[in-house]
Amino acid sequence: MTDTATSNDAGLPDDVRESTFIVMPAFNEAICIEEVVRDVRREYPNVVVIDDGSTDATFDVARRCTPHAVRHAVNRGQGAALQTGIDFALARGARFIVTFDSDGQHRVEDIAAMLAPIVRGDCDITLGSRFLDGSSEIPRSRRFTLRLAVLFTRIVSRVTLTDTHNGFRAFSRKAAMKIEITIDRMAHASELIDQVHHSGLPYREVPVQVRYTDYSLQKGQSSRGAIQIAINYILARVLP
Amino acid sequence: MTLFQYLALLVVVGLLVLTLSAMVRGWATRKEGITWSLVWLLATIAIVNPDLTGTVARRLGIGRGADLLLYCAVVVMLIGFLMIYVRLRRLRRELTLLVRHMAIMEAGSSESK
Repeated sequence: MTDTATSNDAGLPDDVRESTFIVMPAFNEAICIEEVVRDVRREYPNVVVIDDGSTDATFDVARRCTPHAVRHAVNRGQGAALQTGIDFALARGARFIVTFDSDGQHRVEDIAAMLAPIVRGDCDITLGSRFLDGSSEIPRSRRFTLRLAVLFTRIVSRVTLTDTHNGFRAFSRKAAMKIEITIDRMAHASELIDQVHHSGLPYREVPVQVRYTDYSLQKGQSSRGAIQIAINYILARVLP
Repeated sequence: MTLFQYLALLVVVGLLVLTLSAMVRGWATRKEGITWSLVWLLATIAIVNPDLTGTVARRLGIGRGADLLLYCAVVVMLIGFLMIYVRLRRLRRELTLLVRHMAIMEAGSSESK
């Protein structure tokens, strides 16, 4: 299930990089999104920023640094923003789609490692995991919550992964067309795993490094929020 | 009949008239109008003949007619909450699809400029 080959430095062919769309949902990220987008665009020119109805200058900043800036008129949640980004990328002819956090948690170097197995044709979906190698320094409170989420996924969705709530994912065009996120808010991560699992397409986890900064910790989910998310997910599964 | 019965009857008949006029003017669907009219009709019967609810309650093994009405009200309210919640979810879903459509259209028109 894991990709141990370090293909980061191998580099991807230009046509792959140019037909890859990096999808970045952003909600009130005006402070740091410029740096993140510019870093990614040095390697991957097609960055789609979905401003999810931010109340700050996120959209103006995004429009300055990428040609693909999309704006939700009202806030609809991260799941909704991701699906908008995926639809947009597919409409622009993306061959590969990578979802990437806009708060600077993910490393641009890891995108190549995420794409490599898909480009080689080994699988259609890769899911980033911060637990596969020891390179991420994960705060104790987050580690506990994330482990609980892994256990929750194993019981409820019957899928065994090492990191179920990592925003770093890569899809082939075929896989992206099969994904349809309907849970607007944070519980979409569990829904996505269900869809990946039921798509019948091969997937695997790839080690990625997650950088925790004061900024990302403040923007991320608290443990109490996690319980709310779990409840929302269960409700979404049982109600019509 | 007691003063309370007259007052309650007045309210219920008022509601029945409102329901019927809403149905006639097309503000409510035929199904909604008929359902609510039935509810008001049952309420009228219960108000005019309070012993009736007591008889039904005793048949069901519940002591008093007032308790029967209370239990019914709680169940109806819970079903109502669930229906509103389901409708709210559908509305949210539709809103998301609309917002997504607008976002992609808007991005397309600004790119082609």
